[in-house]
Amino acid sequence: MSADTFFFVGASGLILGGLYALMATGLAVVWTTLGVFNFAHGAFLALGAYVAWQVSDGSGGPATFLLAACVSAAVLFCLGYVSHFALVKPFERKKNMVLLSVITTLAAAAIIENAILLIWGPRDKQVPAAVEGSFELFGSALRYQDILALVTALAALVVLATFLRRTATGRSMRAVAQNREAAELMGLRTSHLFALTIGISTAMAALAGVFIGSLRFMNPSFGADPLMKSLIVVILGGVARFTSPIAAAFVVGLAEAFSTFFLGLYWSPAVLFGMMIAVLVVKPEGLFSRRTKTL
Amino acid sequence: MTAPLLELRNLAGGYPPVAVFRNVNLTVAVTESVGLFGPNGQGKTTLLKTVAGTLDPWEGDVRVDGERLNAEGRMRSRTSRHLNYDLFRKRRIRARDVVRSGVIYVMQGNLLFPEMTVKEVIEIAPAASVGRSGIAAMRDMVDELFPRLGERWHSRIRYLSGGERQMVSIAVGLLALPRLLILDEPTLGLSPKLRVELSAAIAGIRTMGMALLIVDQNIEFLTGLIDRLYLFDHGTVDREIGSGRMPSRQEIMAMMFEARH
Repeated sequence: MSADTFFFVGASGLILGGLYALMATGLAVVWTTLGVFNFAHGAFLALGAYVAWQVSDGSGGPATFLLAACVSAAVLFCLGYVSHFALVKPFERKKNMVLLSVITTLAAAAIIENAILLIWGPRDKQVPAAVEGSFELFGSALRYQDILALVTALAALVVLATFLRRTATGRSMRAVAQNREAAELMGLRTSHLFALTIGISTAMAALAGVFIGSLRFMNPSFGADPLMKSLIVVILGGVARFTSPIAAAFVVGLAEAFSTFFLGLYWSPAVLFGMMIAVLVVKPEGLFSRRTKTL
Repeated sequence: MTAPLLELRNLAGGYPPVAVFRNVNLTVAVTESVGLFGPNGQGKTTLLKTVAGTLDPWEGDVRVDGERLNAEGRMRSRTSRHLNYDLFRKRRIRARDVVRSGVIYVMQGNLLFPEMTVKEVIEIAPAASVGRSGIAAMRDMVDELFPRLGERWHSRIRYLSGGERQMVSIAVGLLALPRLLILDEPTLGLSPKLRVELSAAIAGIRTMGMALLIVDQNIEFLTGLIDRLYLFDHGTVDREIGSGRMPSRQEIMAMMFEARH
């Protein structure tokens, strides 16, 4: 294997990793805050991509793409905020809340997917890219859109991390995640903060969706694959720290790229799930976590 | 006569279907410091959690300044295998209303937010209830009451000792500018030295004119800090000891146990 190929495969792995990081962090934030695994995350991603497609209306270019991405993130933020009150809150006092939320989020996924099918139809679509064309680096062609996706994903993660660490709202969100009762007794608006968490997570899913929709073709159920990968990422990396799913996302992205190149497309899921099983057996709290987070 | 700051009328509650306390009548006047003493496992903490709004009262009222904070009437306990009654059932009391009315409950053995630093916790505390005004003044007050916390400003709560955690909890409560501060077992697991330090801090809070409701197992600690004492036994307040003279430990033990056994 030549250095050129190595670089090319590595670069595509990094880009995949960036998008997985964006999605998996959204999942991890909801998981650590509400103790709920959001199976509708993939459907939200797909919906985000379709909203962006609708807004950009067939025309590309940076301005349109920016507008489309922003509208999509905003719409999905609102949907996520509302979905807390529809999917999670009615059951929060139930003992089997985790199982119930699995069912409600799966139901939401099915509803959203079929709504997309009804509204936009089954034909493959693609969000027009912000920047067309590619450039040559170390003998391999890289698309500008790929680089934009990676940079935006990392920037969004930095913004989220800063938000959670520095702002009062972000800190309150962490407080609610760590001790709900104490937060309530402090007078924090727990429902609002929970809804905000889901909203932010779905907005990030939308952003990932817009980029995946611009790099590949999209259809109503194309969120299922990224959801599966983010599940692997979250299990692989653990959720104890903000950075652990991000690091794991790049591991998964690179593993996927290299296994696709060497073993073929059909074997890469097997490799990823093999890794996941190995981690679950050897280090169940995740590769990059020193301990399990108590919820 | 003005209404007392906090008044509990025939309050009953528990964890359905287990009733934990009943017929609790208790008042705390403005700037008064009141103690609640009773054996373990009799429902003191459950009572306080109900007052703070994290548990629903079954019966009776929680009143602050004469205004009822809970929903009227008794709680109906209905369950069904077919319907999710939680969808229709509203909370009978809301923690946020209690906090807004100026009653702050400091939990027992509170871990607070383990992954956040003291600084972060202290900074969000006032924002939660009173907005951004006067934070600097409150910070100075915390520094004055708990000089220890200044040294641990950037440590995560997880790494603090039990006593330091207790101090952060009380400081967080104070930063909400309460009119009544409820302390649940503040000396739990504390060394005698820390207990003296904490006692001084609570005495300091008392001189600021804040009403206090203190629950503790340590009667010497308690009697030094209060005007009035309620004895809590078998799920209800069964005796009130007035402001005249605080009884000694032996007298209280005799009152609590010899009458019955």
